[in-house]
Amino acid sequence: MADKTEKFDTLEQKLELFIENTRQMGIIVSDFQPQGQNVLNQKIQTMVTEMNEIDKLRTQVPDVHVPLEVFDYIDQGRNPNLYTKDCLEKALAKNEQVKGKTDSLKRFKAMLLLELSKVFPSEMEMYRALKQGRGPT
Amino acid sequence: MADMIRRPDPMQSSPRSSPRDRGSRSPAYPRQDSSGTLKTTISLAPGKTPAVIHTGSFYLVKDIPDEAEITGSTNLLNYYNLEHSYNRFLNKKVKEELSAFLPHLPGNIDSPGIQDNSSLRSLIEKTPITGKELTQLSGSALSGFRLHPGPLPEQYQLMNQMTQKKKRHKKKIKDSEKGSTLQLSQTDSATGEPETKKTKRPKKEDDQKDSKKKRKKDKKKKKKHSPEPTAANGTDVTT
Repeated sequence: MADKTEKFDTLEQKLELFIENTRQMGIIVSDFQPQGQNVLNQKIQTMVTEMNEIDKLRTQVPDVHVPLEVFDYIDQGRNPNLYTKDCLEKALAKNEQVKGKTDSLKRFKAMLLLELSKVFPSEMEMYRALKQGRGPT
Repeated sequence: MADMIRRPDPMQSSPRSSPRDRGSRSPAYPRQDSSGTLKTTISLAPGKTPAVIHTGSFYLVKDIPDEAEITGSTNLLNYYNLEHSYNRFLNKKVKEELSAFLPHLPGNIDSPGIQDNSSLRSLIEKTPITGKELTQLSGSALSGFRLHPGPLPEQYQLMNQMTQKKKRHKKKIKDSEKGSTLQLSQTDSATGEPETKKTKRPKKEDDQKDSKKKRKKDKKKKKKHSPEPTAANGTDVTT
């Protein structure tokens, strides 16, 4: 577990460095000065190096599965934690729904047995005996 | 035309007569009993009293499947120890914006990705070229990145657009009276900052005025014998 978090931490650090470098390049480019050409060239080379480093880290995180729906949340500029929240809400609602169904079926079974016992008393006696493993009387 | 249509024998097509479709499962259809249990059929003909015909077996006599450890009726949040996550996400208010999840990311990331063609979906749908080695750029290749001096047009200055942080604003609200926080937040959302400033200014101004008045009084006492007391007072008020 600790190993996994370490891998994620290094990947996160590399990504942050890459983003920071790109941001700095953006600032240089947005109001370019002639003396900034050398700095920009350095930044481009750093960018390539950092891309290589990130690419190497790909092998360390091969078993990470991300639900595709999360991408939709991110693409819409929404917090991906909302996806987790929605999933929990849905799971809870479904859980409650299924519990309601099973409880209803249990109640239905009890009522059915009761009513059947009224209409077919001897048969139900036999049935109960069978269910209890005594065999038909 | 009606003759053209092939009509199968009604006796064969009837679902009741088809042993494969229906009869094999129905206790009404006579079959060999492999279970050795009770062979009974309940006839519920309309207008007649229900009768039991000993021809098939009860469905209910079938063995009940073993009860699973987890079913839909078990509290799955409890079972998987997810109560902490549940409380974390559902009891606390999660901020809607993506910038709340990635606060250190530069640029405006709350806008939809389709707008600036930066959506993650496009990465899946149009997979970029991968597998090629990334090499350092040569001197001649870098010459392609030689830029002209001067600022970029405004529409391309994406890096300067930072997300607006509202933390400071909220802190200001907390400083004010607790009872009025709800009202303040409502007015903030509708009108923006100026409303809050209006509510706070009088307090500060009152305090300042009180302190200034005290200073004035002190100075008056000190400068009772000075030649131009009004001028001195005037400078005090302005400072």
